[in-house]
Amino acid sequence: MEIVVTNESDIAVFAITGRLDAVSVPQLEERLNQWFEQPGKKLIFDLQGLDYISSAGLRVFLTTAKKMKARDGKLCMARLRDNVKDVFTISGFIALIPAFDTLGAAQDAIK
Amino acid sequence: MIMKKMPARVESLHELLTFIRAEAKKRGFSESALSRIELVAEEALVNVFVHGYAKGQGQVEVRCLVADDPSLTIEIHDTGVAFDPLSLADPDVQSDLTKRKIGGMGVFFIRKMTDRVAYRREGNSNILAMTFLNR
Repeated sequence: MEIVVTNESDIAVFAITGRLDAVSVPQLEERLNQWFEQPGKKLIFDLQGLDYISSAGLRVFLTTAKKMKARDGKLCMARLRDNVKDVFTISGFIALIPAFDTLGAAQDAIK
Repeated sequence: MIMKKMPARVESLHELLTFIRAEAKKRGFSESALSRIELVAEEALVNVFVHGYAKGQGQVEVRCLVADDPSLTIEIHDTGVAFDPLSLADPDVQSDLTKRKIGGMGVFFIRKMTDRVAYRREGNSNILAMTFLNR
Protein backbone atom coordinates (compact mmCIF):
# COMPACT_ATOMS: atom_id res chain seq x y z
CA MET A 1 0.00 0.00 0.00
CA GLU A 2 1.12 3.53 -0.74
CA ILE A 3 -0.17 6.78 0.69
CA VAL A 4 0.47 10.12 -0.92
CA VAL A 5 -0.72 13.19 0.95
CA THR A 6 -1.22 16.45 -0.88
CA ASN A 7 -2.58 19.73 0.36
CA GLU A 8 -4.60 22.10 -1.75
CA SER A 9 -5.48 25.29 0.10
CA ASP A 10 -7.02 23.97 3.31
CA ILE A 11 -7.96 20.51 1.99
CA ALA A 12 -5.74 17.48 2.60
CA VAL A 13 -6.03 14.63 0.11
CA PHE A 14 -4.89 11.14 1.12
CA ALA A 15 -4.43 9.12 -2.07
CA ILE A 16 -4.31 5.48 -1.02
CA THR A 17 -3.22 2.85 -3.52
CA GLY A 18 -2.93 -0.92 -3.25
CA ARG A 19 -4.39 -3.02 -0.46
CA LEU A 20 -5.80 -1.72 2.79
CA ASP A 21 -5.87 -4.82 4.96
CA ALA A 22 -4.73 -6.10 8.35
CA VAL A 23 -1.11 -5.91 7.16
CA SER A 24 -1.10 -2.33 5.88
CA VAL A 25 -3.54 -0.66 8.27
CA PRO A 26 -0.89 0.41 10.85
CA GLN A 27 0.84 2.42 8.11
CA LEU A 28 -2.32 4.42 7.37
CA GLU A 29 -3.06 4.86 11.06
CA GLU A 30 0.39 6.31 11.64
CA ARG A 31 0.01 8.74 8.76
CA LEU A 32 -3.42 9.84 9.96
CA ASN A 33 -2.24 10.27 13.54
CA GLN A 34 0.45 12.63 12.26
CA TRP A 35 -2.17 14.54 10.33
CA PHE A 36 -4.46 14.82 13.34
CA GLU A 37 -1.66 16.50 15.29
CA GLN A 38 -2.32 19.63 13.24
CA PRO A 39 -5.63 21.47 13.26
CA GLY A 40 -6.81 20.70 9.68
CA LYS A 41 -10.54 20.34 9.24
CA LYS A 42 -10.94 19.10 5.68
CA LEU A 43 -9.88 15.65 4.53
CA ILE A 44 -10.50 13.60 1.40
CA PHE A 45 -9.63 9.94 0.86
CA ASP A 46 -8.89 9.53 -2.84
CA LEU A 47 -9.43 5.82 -3.47
CA GLN A 48 -8.91 5.61 -7.23
CA GLY A 49 -5.93 3.32 -6.72
CA LEU A 50 -7.36 1.27 -3.86
CA ASP A 51 -7.74 -2.36 -4.97
CA TYR A 52 -8.99 -3.90 -1.77
CA ILE A 53 -10.30 -3.03 1.67
CA SER A 54 -11.24 -5.29 4.59
CA SER A 55 -12.84 -4.60 7.97
CA ALA A 56 -9.41 -3.62 9.30
CA GLY A 57 -9.40 -0.77 6.78
CA LEU A 58 -13.00 0.19 7.49
CA ARG A 59 -12.14 0.48 11.16
CA VAL A 60 -9.60 3.21 10.37
CA PHE A 61 -12.13 5.04 8.21
CA LEU A 62 -14.69 4.93 11.01
CA THR A 63 -12.20 6.15 13.61
CA THR A 64 -11.22 8.97 11.27
CA ALA A 65 -14.86 9.94 10.66
CA LYS A 66 -15.46 10.09 14.41
CA LYS A 67 -12.36 12.21 15.00
CA MET A 68 -13.33 14.59 12.19
CA LYS A 69 -16.79 14.97 13.64
CA ALA A 70 -15.30 15.69 17.05
CA ARG A 71 -13.26 18.57 15.63
CA ASP A 72 -16.20 19.80 13.57
CA GLY A 73 -14.37 18.94 10.35
CA LYS A 74 -15.39 17.52 7.00
CA LEU A 75 -14.42 14.15 5.57
CA CYS A 76 -15.33 12.52 2.29
CA MET A 77 -14.13 9.93 -0.20
CA ALA A 78 -13.63 10.01 -3.95
CA ARG A 79 -13.38 7.52 -6.81
CA LEU A 80 -14.21 4.22 -5.14
CA ARG A 81 -13.79 1.13 -7.31
CA ASP A 82 -16.74 -1.24 -7.57
CA ASN A 83 -15.44 -3.92 -5.20
CA VAL A 84 -14.42 -1.30 -2.63
CA LYS A 85 -17.78 0.42 -2.95
CA ASP A 86 -19.41 -2.97 -2.40
CA VAL A 87 -17.68 -3.28 0.98
CA PHE A 88 -18.77 0.22 1.99
CA THR A 89 -22.34 -0.47 0.93
CA ILE A 90 -22.72 -3.83 2.70
CA SER A 91 -21.22 -2.45 5.90
CA GLY A 92 -23.47 0.62 5.85
CA PHE A 93 -20.37 2.86 5.92
CA ILE A 94 -21.44 4.47 2.67
CA ALA A 95 -24.03 6.38 4.72
CA LEU A 96 -21.41 7.57 7.22
CA ILE A 97 -18.80 9.04 4.87
CA PRO A 98 -19.98 10.86 1.73
CA ALA A 99 -18.58 9.33 -1.48
CA PHE A 100 -18.11 11.10 -4.82
CA ASP A 101 -17.33 9.88 -8.32
CA THR A 102 -14.70 12.51 -8.97
CA LEU A 103 -12.07 14.26 -6.88
CA GLY A 104 -13.42 17.61 -8.04
CA ALA A 105 -16.89 16.81 -6.73
CA ALA A 106 -15.40 15.78 -3.39
CA GLN A 107 -13.42 19.03 -3.21
CA ASP A 108 -16.50 21.10 -4.06
CA ALA A 109 -18.50 19.32 -1.38
CA ILE A 110 -16.17 20.21 1.47
CA LYS A 111 -15.00 23.64 0.34
CA MET B 1 -8.33 -31.63 -0.67
CA ILE B 2 -5.67 -28.98 -0.97
CA MET B 3 -4.23 -27.41 2.15
CA LYS B 4 -1.74 -24.91 3.44
CA LYS B 5 -0.50 -24.53 6.99
CA MET B 6 1.27 -21.46 8.33
CA PRO B 7 2.00 -19.66 11.61
CA ALA B 8 -1.14 -17.91 12.86
CA ARG B 9 0.09 -14.36 12.54
CA VAL B 10 -0.54 -11.40 10.29
CA GLU B 11 2.72 -11.95 8.38
CA SER B 12 1.14 -15.11 6.91
CA LEU B 13 -1.91 -13.29 5.59
CA HIS B 14 -0.85 -12.44 2.05
CA GLU B 15 0.54 -15.87 1.28
CA LEU B 16 -2.62 -17.57 2.54
CA LEU B 17 -4.87 -15.20 0.61
CA THR B 18 -2.87 -15.72 -2.57
CA PHE B 19 -3.29 -19.48 -2.11
CA ILE B 20 -7.05 -19.20 -1.56
CA ARG B 21 -7.54 -16.82 -4.45
CA ALA B 22 -5.67 -19.15 -6.81
CA GLU B 23 -7.82 -22.11 -5.74
CA ALA B 24 -10.99 -20.10 -6.24
CA LYS B 25 -9.79 -18.91 -9.62
CA LYS B 26 -9.20 -22.49 -10.77
CA ARG B 27 -12.88 -23.10 -10.12
CA GLY B 28 -13.84 -20.26 -12.41
CA PHE B 29 -15.21 -17.67 -9.99
CA SER B 30 -15.71 -14.17 -11.41
CA GLU B 31 -13.45 -11.26 -10.42
CA SER B 32 -16.10 -9.80 -8.13
CA ALA B 33 -16.68 -13.19 -6.49
CA LEU B 34 -12.91 -13.55 -6.02
CA SER B 35 -12.83 -10.18 -4.24
CA ARG B 36 -15.53 -11.32 -1.84
CA ILE B 37 -13.88 -14.68 -1.20
CA GLU B 38 -10.61 -12.95 -0.45
CA LEU B 39 -12.29 -10.51 1.92
CA VAL B 40 -14.14 -13.24 3.81
CA ALA B 41 -10.96 -15.32 4.04
CA GLU B 42 -9.04 -12.36 5.48
CA GLU B 43 -11.72 -11.76 8.10
CA ALA B 44 -11.72 -15.41 9.18
CA LEU B 45 -7.93 -15.61 9.27
CA VAL B 46 -7.45 -12.35 11.15
CA ASN B 47 -9.93 -13.57 13.76
CA VAL B 48 -7.67 -16.55 14.35
CA PHE B 49 -4.53 -14.39 14.39
CA VAL B 50 -6.01 -11.99 16.93
CA HIS B 51 -8.14 -14.22 19.15
CA GLY B 52 -6.93 -17.75 18.53
CA TYR B 53 -3.73 -18.05 20.51
CA ALA B 54 -3.03 -16.26 23.76
CA LYS B 55 0.74 -16.33 23.28
CA GLY B 56 0.78 -15.87 19.55
CA GLN B 57 2.35 -19.24 18.91
CA GLY B 58 0.09 -21.43 16.89
CA GLN B 59 -0.67 -22.60 13.42
CA VAL B 60 -3.55 -21.99 11.11
CA GLU B 61 -4.48 -24.42 8.40
CA VAL B 62 -6.50 -23.57 5.32
CA ARG B 63 -8.21 -26.40 3.48
CA CYS B 64 -9.89 -26.04 0.12
CA LEU B 65 -12.37 -28.86 -0.32
CA VAL B 66 -13.04 -30.30 -3.72
CA ALA B 67 -16.68 -30.84 -4.58
CA ASP B 68 -18.40 -32.29 -7.64
CA ASP B 69 -20.08 -28.97 -8.34
CA PRO B 70 -18.01 -25.85 -9.04
CA SER B 71 -18.55 -24.49 -5.54
CA LEU B 72 -15.68 -23.86 -3.16
CA THR B 73 -15.57 -24.72 0.52
CA ILE B 74 -12.76 -23.23 2.55
CA GLU B 75 -12.09 -24.53 6.02
CA ILE B 76 -10.00 -22.60 8.51
CA HIS B 77 -8.57 -24.82 11.24
CA ASP B 78 -6.84 -23.69 14.41
CA THR B 79 -6.08 -25.28 17.74
CA GLY B 80 -6.55 -22.17 19.86
CA VAL B 81 -9.14 -21.62 22.56
CA ALA B 82 -12.63 -22.84 21.66
CA PHE B 83 -14.39 -19.96 19.99
CA ASP B 84 -17.36 -19.76 17.67
CA PRO B 85 -17.12 -16.46 15.76
CA LEU B 86 -20.69 -16.96 14.56
CA SER B 87 -21.89 -16.55 18.14
CA LEU B 88 -21.15 -12.83 17.90
CA ALA B 89 -24.06 -10.49 17.27
CA ASP B 90 -24.17 -8.53 14.03
CA PRO B 91 -23.31 -4.84 14.24
CA ASP B 92 -26.13 -2.40 13.63
CA VAL B 93 -25.30 -1.27 10.10
CA GLN B 94 -28.07 1.32 10.18
CA SER B 95 -26.73 3.30 13.11
CA ASP B 96 -25.35 6.80 12.64
CA LEU B 97 -21.76 7.91 13.08
CA THR B 98 -22.07 8.72 16.76
CA LYS B 99 -23.53 5.36 17.66
CA ARG B 100 -21.66 3.20 15.19
CA LYS B 101 -19.38 0.69 16.91
CA ILE B 102 -15.93 -0.24 15.66
CA GLY B 103 -16.09 -4.02 16.06
CA GLY B 104 -18.07 -6.91 14.64
CA MET B 105 -17.64 -6.06 10.96
CA GLY B 106 -15.44 -9.03 10.11
CA VAL B 107 -17.92 -11.65 11.23
CA PHE B 108 -20.71 -9.67 9.59
CA PHE B 109 -18.90 -9.93 6.23
CA ILE B 110 -18.36 -13.65 6.77
CA ARG B 111 -22.10 -14.18 7.29
CA LYS B 112 -23.17 -11.85 4.54
CA MET B 113 -20.80 -12.92 1.76
CA THR B 114 -20.78 -16.70 2.11
CA ASP B 115 -23.50 -18.99 0.82
CA ARG B 116 -23.06 -21.30 3.79
CA VAL B 117 -21.00 -20.95 6.91
CA ALA B 118 -20.69 -23.24 9.90
CA TYR B 119 -18.49 -23.55 12.94
CA ARG B 120 -17.59 -26.80 14.63
CA ARG B 121 -15.22 -27.93 17.35
CA GLU B 122 -13.44 -31.20 16.67
CA GLY B 123 -11.12 -32.45 19.38
CA ASN B 124 -8.95 -29.42 20.14
CA SER B 125 -9.62 -27.72 16.80
CA ASN B 126 -11.85 -24.83 15.82
CA ILE B 127 -13.11 -25.27 12.28
CA LEU B 128 -14.89 -22.61 10.32
CA ALA B 129 -16.29 -23.94 7.03
CA MET B 130 -17.31 -21.38 4.43
CA THR B 131 -18.94 -22.31 1.15
CA PHE B 132 -19.19 -20.15 -1.95
CA LEU B 133 -21.44 -21.21 -4.80
CA ASN B 134 -20.28 -20.47 -8.30
CA ARG B 135 -23.17 -18.86 -10.11
